[in-house]
This record gives sequence, C-alpha cells and structure tokens, in this order.
Amino acid sequence: MAKQLAFYIDTSACTACKACQIACKDKNSLPVGLLWRRVYQYQGGDWMPHPNQPNIKSPVSMFAYSVSISCMHCQNPLCVTNCPTGAMHKRDDGVVLINADLCIGCRYCEWSCPYSAPQYNAELEVMTKCDFCQDLLAKGEPPACVAACPTRALNYGELEELQKQHGGLAAIEPLPVSNITNPSVVITPHKNAQPSGRGTGHVANLPEEI
Amino acid sequence: MSEQSFLTKMLTETALTRRSFLKWSAALGGTAALAGGVRAGLKAVEKASAASEGEWITAACWHNCGGRCLLKAHVVDGVVTRIKSDDFSEENDNMTQLKACTRGHAKRQQIFGADRLKYPMKRKNWEPGGGKKELRGKDEWVRISWDEALDIVASETKRIKETYGNKAILSPVGNGALNLSAWPVGRMLSLYGGFTAIWGTTSWGALPLPGNRMQGVDVGGVHDRMSVRQSKLIVLWGANPVWSSAGNPTYHYMIAKKAGAKFIVVDPFYTPTAATLADQWIPCRPSTDAALLIGMAYHMITNGLQDQEFLDKYTVGFDADHMPEGADPKENFKDYVLGTFDGIPKTPEWASEICGTPADLIRSFAEEVSITKPTAFITGYAPARTNRGEQFIQAFYTVGWMTGNVGEPGAMVGVSCKERAGDTGPLAPALVYAGDPGVPAVENPICNYGFPGPPASATDWHGFVWNEAWEAVVTGEFTASVRGKQPCDIRMIWNIGDMSSLNQLPNVNQGIEAFRKVEFVVSADSYLTTPCKYADVVLPVTTMWERWGGIMNSNTYHSSRRDIFIYHRQITEPLFEAKDDIWIEAEIGKRLGLDPKVIDPVPYKQMVFNMLAGAQVVKEDGLEFENLLTITADDIARLGVDGTPQQGRITYKELEEKGLYQVPRKPGDKLGLIYFEDFRKDPVANPLNTKTGKLQIHSQSLADDVTDYGWTKLPPIPQYIPPPEGVEATRDGEFPLQLYSIHYMRRSHSTYDSVPWLREAFPQELFMNNLDAEARGLKTGDMVLITSPHGKALRPVFVTPRIMPGVVTMGEGAWVERDDETGIDKAGATNSLNGTNPCGQGVQPWNTNIAQVTRWEGQPLLPDAQWPQRVVFGKDA
Repeated sequence: MAKQLAFYIDTSACTACKACQIACKDKNSLPVGLLWRRVYQYQGGDWMPHPNQPNIKSPVSMFAYSVSISCMHCQNPLCVTNCPTGAMHKRDDGVVLINADLCIGCRYCEWSCPYSAPQYNAELEVMTKCDFCQDLLAKGEPPACVAACPTRALNYGELEELQKQHGGLAAIEPLPVSNITNPSVVITPHKNAQPSGRGTGHVANLPEEI
Repeated sequence: MSEQSFLTKMLTETALTRRSFLKWSAALGGTAALAGGVRAGLKAVEKASAASEGEWITAACWHNCGGRCLLKAHVVDGVVTRIKSDDFSEENDNMTQLKACTRGHAKRQQIFGADRLKYPMKRKNWEPGGGKKELRGKDEWVRISWDEALDIVASETKRIKETYGNKAILSPVGNGALNLSAWPVGRMLSLYGGFTAIWGTTSWGALPLPGNRMQGVDVGGVHDRMSVRQSKLIVLWGANPVWSSAGNPTYHYMIAKKAGAKFIVVDPFYTPTAATLADQWIPCRPSTDAALLIGMAYHMITNGLQDQEFLDKYTVGFDADHMPEGADPKENFKDYVLGTFDGIPKTPEWASEICGTPADLIRSFAEEVSITKPTAFITGYAPARTNRGEQFIQAFYTVGWMTGNVGEPGAMVGVSCKERAGDTGPLAPALVYAGDPGVPAVENPICNYGFPGPPASATDWHGFVWNEAWEAVVTGEFTASVRGKQPCDIRMIWNIGDMSSLNQLPNVNQGIEAFRKVEFVVSADSYLTTPCKYADVVLPVTTMWERWGGIMNSNTYHSSRRDIFIYHRQITEPLFEAKDDIWIEAEIGKRLGLDPKVIDPVPYKQMVFNMLAGAQVVKEDGLEFENLLTITADDIARLGVDGTPQQGRITYKELEEKGLYQVPRKPGDKLGLIYFEDFRKDPVANPLNTKTGKLQIHSQSLADDVTDYGWTKLPPIPQYIPPPEGVEATRDGEFPLQLYSIHYMRRSHSTYDSVPWLREAFPQELFMNNLDAEARGLKTGDMVLITSPHGKALRPVFVTPRIMPGVVTMGEGAWVERDDETGIDKAGATNSLNGTNPCGQGVQPWNTNIAQVTRWEGQPLLPDAQWPQRVVFGKDA
C-alpha cells in the first residue's frame, strides 16, 4: 500500500471544546462560514418516570459524545474522482489537495463528499478544504488542529502505523459508514459511541456550528 | 458563508492608512488575495509565508477565566500571522505542556477585531450635567480628541466631587483582568478622595465565610494534582472544568482517570465534563444540592456508613455528644437529619422531591462515597452561587467529612474549579511567584473593600454589594450590614479600569435605569462593551498585546497552576488612538491637580522588570526559595531599566525566548500539597484555624455573621431551607422552569463575546430538556422568548436530554442587546433575566432564578456570527 497520511481521533478524550476548529480558522484565516475542521455533537436518550417514584423522572439511555472531523483524505476520494477539471487531486503521501488554478468552483466535489469537507469560498469563487497543513508538515510540524488540542485527543501519522496502534475503526455515529470513500482516519471510540448507520441518537449542533 | 467576511469589513468599515490597513488585514490573512485577484492572491500568500520565517513571540492571554496558558504569536515583518500554544515543554503525566484553550486560539481575531474602539468619543447630545440622559445607549457618537475627552472627564469629576462629595462617584470596577494586576484599579480616584465601590463574593458565591468558620480556610481543601491522581473516586460536584476552567485542568483529570479513578459528576446538566469523564451522572436541580446531601447523610446515618471515629476525633457539631461549647445540644446535625425534634426525617425520598434525584440513586451514591477510600470530594463554585448557598457548602463539607476523606493522599473534601482546578485551589501557596512591582498601595478612604467584601461587623465603608448597586443608584438606599439601610446619592458612574459592570451585574434592566439617572457616565475599554454603549464619554484602551510586556505569575487568583511563570512581550504598537489605562488615569489626575508621579510612580517597563528580578522559585526541599532569574548587566542595559545583576535558576534570555518556566514536578517530590495533613496526623498539636481548632459542622459565628450582613438568617448547622426563586417557586405556575447561568466556552465572562469565530462555534443557545420542549412544541433551532420576573430575552433553543426536566440554562456574559420598546434582550445576557436578591455574606445568586420559555412568533434572529459587530467609526471617521 502506498503511503497514506491520516488523522487519529480519540473520541473518548474529546470535550467538544473546539480548540481544533478555531486553531484551523486561525492558521488558515478562514472567514465565518468555512469550517474546514468542525465538531459534531451526537446525543440520545430520554427521561422516564422512575419505576419506584412515578413523580421523579430519570434519564434512560442518555448519552452524548463529540467527533472532530476535517477532510478525511480518503483512500477512495470521490471528490477527486468526480472533479471535472482535475483540480482536486491526491498527493503521493495521500493528502487530498485542490489546485486553485484549475478549480472552476462547480461544487461537484462538495456534492460528492460524505463529510462536507470541500467548502465553497464565495468571495474567492473556489473550493477550499483542509490541506493537512502541508506547509507545517513540510517543516516536520504537526497540523495546527493536532498541536492545539488541549486534551491530546487529536493526532496524525501514517495510516498503517495508527491502525497498528489504535485499531482499524474508521467510523462511528454520526459519521457515514466508511466503505463509501475509505477515509484515512483512525478512531478510538467514546464509551458510548454507536456504530455508523445504526445509532439511536441524533446530531445535536445548531446549523451554523457545522 | 457570510455575506461579508471579516476582511471585507475591515476594508469598508475602517478608515486606516493604506499601510496600517495592509498590516492588520494581512494579520488576518489574504490581503494579497484582494489586491491581486483570487489565484494570484493565493500564490502571493504562499510566497509571503515562505519568504520570511518570522518570529514566535510569547503573547498575553490574561482574562478572568481561571487559566493562564501559553500563547505565542507568529510575527512576520510586524504582522501577526498565526497563534500557537506550548509545543516545547516536557510532556508526560507529571509535566504537561501548557496548552491554550479555544479562546486563546481566537486571539488574533479579538485583538485585531473590526470592533476595536478607535478614538475617544462622546455622546452627541451630551452636555455638562447630562444632556438628554434618556438617550444613553442609543445616541450618536462624536469623535473627539484625547484632550477634549480627558478635559470633560476631569471637569465632570471635579464638579460632582465639589457639589456632592466623593461618595457621589460610583466606580463599579475591579476584577483586574484588563489591567496589569500589580496596578490597582481606582488608584487615581482613591488619591482624589475616594469613591463608592462595589463589593461581593461574585464567583465564589457563598463559599468564603463557611469555609473560614468551618475549616479555617475560605476556599481550599483540594490537594495538588499528584495527590488527586491517587484518588480511587473523584466526585465533581457542580464543576464543569471543560468550560469553566478551559485549557489544562480537564487533561489533568484525564490523567487521574487513566490512573484508575472513577468519576461521578453531580450537576443539573450532563456537561461536557460529564460526557468526557463521568462514569456516573447524578442529576440534581439547581439550588437544591443541600437537600441531596442531607438525604445522603440520612442514608449514611441510618446504615452506620459514616466514619464515626473520624467525626468524633476531628469534628464538632455532628451529634449531641460532640457539640462546641455553649451550643444547644439539640442543635446537632444528626438529630436534624433524623428529624428527632422537627418530626421530619430527611430521607432520600424527602430529598428526592426537592432535588429531583431518584431516591435509589441518592442511596447508592451515598454508599459509594462512604466505602470508597481514598475519595476526592470536590465541588466547583456554582452550587454556592445560589440563594442560601451557605447551606450547600455547609452540607457539602459535612457529608464529605462524614466519609473521613481528609488530609491524606487522594483523600480530600474541598473546593476547586476555576483557577488550578483539580490541582489545589486559588489560595494555595505558589511554587514560583513574581516580585513586587514596587508601586505603593493606595487605600480608597470611602470603601476599601472589594472581593469578597467587608467583615460583617465592619462599619468603615460606604459601598454597594454587587447585586444591589443599581438598586442603590435608583432608590438612594443601600444595605450596610450592622448599620442597616443607609442613604446614598450617586451622581456619576466611573467605568475606567476593567469591568463590564452593566453587563455582568445582575438586573441589567435596572442597571440601564441607573445609567440613565446619573449626571455623568465615563467608560473605557477596547470594545464598545455594554457600559461603554450606555456612557457619555468613551475612552479606547490598549490590550495587553500593545503594552511593553508583562508577567502572568502563579500567585494570582487567575493562575491555572501554582508551578508556572509566563513572561509575555509586546506584540504590536497600540492600535488607532488606544492608550493604556494607567496613562488615562494619570492624565485625568493631572487635570485634577494630582501629581502624576504619585498616580503612576514606577514606569510600566520598570514594574515588569521588578516582578522579573524579584521572582522566586521553590527549591527541591519544598521550603527554601531562590531567584528564578539570572540577570546580567547586558540584559539590564538592553532593557533600559534600573537594576543590578543577579544569579538565579535560569537565564533571563531563556525566559524571554520560551516565555514560560515550569517548576519540575514528579510524584513523591517535596513540592506537593495535602490540605490538613498535619491536622489529620495530630489534631491536638496542629489545630485548625477555627474556633474549636476542629472541623466545625456547627458554627455559631457563621450563623451570626451571615445574619449581621442583613439579608439572610442562617442556622449554625446545615439545613435545607427553600430559597426565593428556587424549585419550590416554579410550582406556582407563572414561571415553571428553573434557570441557572453557566460559564460558556465562547467567552471568559463577557470577554471575547464579539469574536466571530467564537460566535460561530458557540451560538449562545438556551439548553432545554426534550420533555419541556415537547410540551411547548419546540425543536432545536427554534426561537424562544425567555421570561423571568426581571426581564426578557430571545434565543435559539437547543433541545437535549442532557439537562434535567424543568431546568434551563444559558451561558453568562453575552453582550446585552436590549430593545427599549419591548425590553427584550436579543443577545440573551443572563443578567437581563437575573434579579438582584442579595443574600448571605454578599452573594450574587446567579444560579437561583425562575423563568418561562415560549415559542417566539416574531422575526427570528440571525445566527450571532452574522450579526454586525459594534463598529463605531467606519470609513467616514
């Protein structure tokens, strides 16, 4: 298998503080509306009368956790497959990039991606997305989101290495199942994490957050 | 994607010189993209960042958040291009990098915000003595020179002092997060004869006095992180460090979890902390924690689960056989719990009806904390920030002590949530601290008390408790503890020196009335905060990034750890016409005939140097201290300060480069802190600083002092007495929900609220239980009107099973946007909904409120991130 860079997400350590999201916006000077990295909150459960005390309600199957995602730099990137100009491409190290000179802003990649990673910058009239902080990588430094995480829940590395260390899980709710694009991501599940496509909860962010 | 990005706004709304525009907008990225077309621009930006390496300079992050974290600003040719945090310190379970939180990473957009105040300005209709005072908050602004602004402030101050006396000047400032902490706020006014000040326990709620009388320490009891890590069970009661102590503390708790600790979180909300750490969540309604604790005590007593040996030896007041001298033996805790004399056994079922926690859960929780040793029984400040909050902390200490977890590794009962959360508390001695800046203190002759307030018996003050300040201005009367009600006559509100008073004191609606009543209001800040918006004259202040530098040392209330020392440096020249507040006060003082050398006796740079040169760090023996810094003659000459060379642990140059020194720590070293360790070993030889030398479950002086403050009567032992606007008040119908305020990730109190990146990430939603939402036909994102007995606010609702039924909450600190016609605050500032309700020892009961929530049928709000910022002078200035 060719070299493939990947993100590691420890959802048991993620507090949904969004330091990663803001560090990304700072590093890339992103305007409001572009969220190359963002944090999904997933929750579920209900409140029922307690069996011994009918007038007291207690939580039933209540849970909540969060997942921070950016571009997954997929092994089978549909955005690259479907890009009509070749602007969207995959580098030798597996990082998916946009050649702004070739991008015509048709937004077909946005439509193709199950993770909403490519995002249209209306001001610049091009697609934009996480580039894995390629300039920092070139200097041997971690991506801004990874460096910022106060609970060390994010990391990055060679996909196979990360899989050896943390297992092969690449999807939990609310992410789509992983066999659509083979995302380059390794996930440590939160103790309440639910399998993709079979969750009992719902995404709990307000629209502008994601 | 918003219609107008931040960059475009900078272009159209500011009138900067081209040079400075290029500099500052490039600081936020992409100037070249605007100048040279999209594709060329992208390339130009890449080229620019490749061309120059730039320099990483340690930058201040200085707010009232409880943290002090490392920030570095990447400066390329005078332009700040990026922020990063600690990526160089040792990183293992004992020593961790001092990572900044979310807000720190948004600092560039805060410092260089389009809404920075640019020039001094006055209200268009202002004239001496007022001038259409009702227009405060909605008048037009007129740009004026610094000279004119300072002359107006000086002449109005002089006129008011000479006509009405110094007591007519109210200065509701003083939390010290904008100023250099070494330079006390109100210094100039104190030298000019003083002012009416505000005082109160603010964040600490009802903690200090019970702590003082029951255990001899106002706020404390939690050991350092090495010892917390030895706990088998960690109870976090009403503490959400993920939001209220962002940055490192949660990570330290994670290290404790990795070491095997089980976590139980008690809270009305399944907080982000609970979602991350908790093995079990105990839901408990706001302001009812004392009932839950007393219900636990009942189960412990009736099953013999309490550590009786410990109680007998180390405490007084638990039972009739162990009462302090002079106390009525019937007034013991055990008999109250059992209902021996009042006929009401405080069973888990009794508690459950009040606190909403199922009785089974109360029993199993009581069993678990009783049998697990060592346990860390830790509370945050929030449950004490309630009406009758004293009863919570009385009950918390008592039940904690009943488990016997005191004074041993991993075993503790105490308070720790904001500064140094999970790693001692705010009053623990520092392991490295800064020197004295060399500025002699000045007393305010009218009221020299601030936080947490005057002793109950003191009569040498004329000031207002926070939550009575606006009422006092409006009614001309204030509560003066043993002196009862006293008259007052406020003619001027002086908001120079850091605090968003009108936004952060309860009852904003009454506050606006107070602001519109007085003859003159002056405010100073870096942004058009709420007190600036309602002022006559507004003065633009620099941020810490625009000052020569400074220290964030670990002997302040706001330090995240007691073993860190941060030396930050100047990042940029002052923006627009902003000035340091020290300069502002000195200039006003000069106009009032004071000697500027007395107001500002030590140049800023020299103050900072004095703090560096005098910095002390603990030696390995844990007893002796030594100089932190070696400073050479060359260093002194280069800095241009007065000083003598000295030897210390690290060189000045190293500190300047790194910006951070951390005292090395490892388990078993001599630098740890275990509260009450000596007392536990030998309580006779090492008595506590309490009346009996023991832990006092019964304290008559506590009860007497609280009564003397003039608002609340408190029993000497823990009891549950329903507070005004508590859960009992929701049962009457009109306001069926409990509302409490949380610290919110978007802000540090009100600081950062206007930063678009943070507004986008945290939308200031009202958290509501799914059953309450269902009953109102509401779903996430719907607009709701929140009504309390004191005000109204409009917000999107966030429907979630994570909060208890009957309870709603919202982040405190949003910048008030009140519509005068309807009285509705569109920003959802919790102080627009909170009443005053002064109580206890001068407590602001922000977590005891009632409310109703209904669907909003009017125009929905835009998401906060799309609101125009409060930009006063745009291109026409």
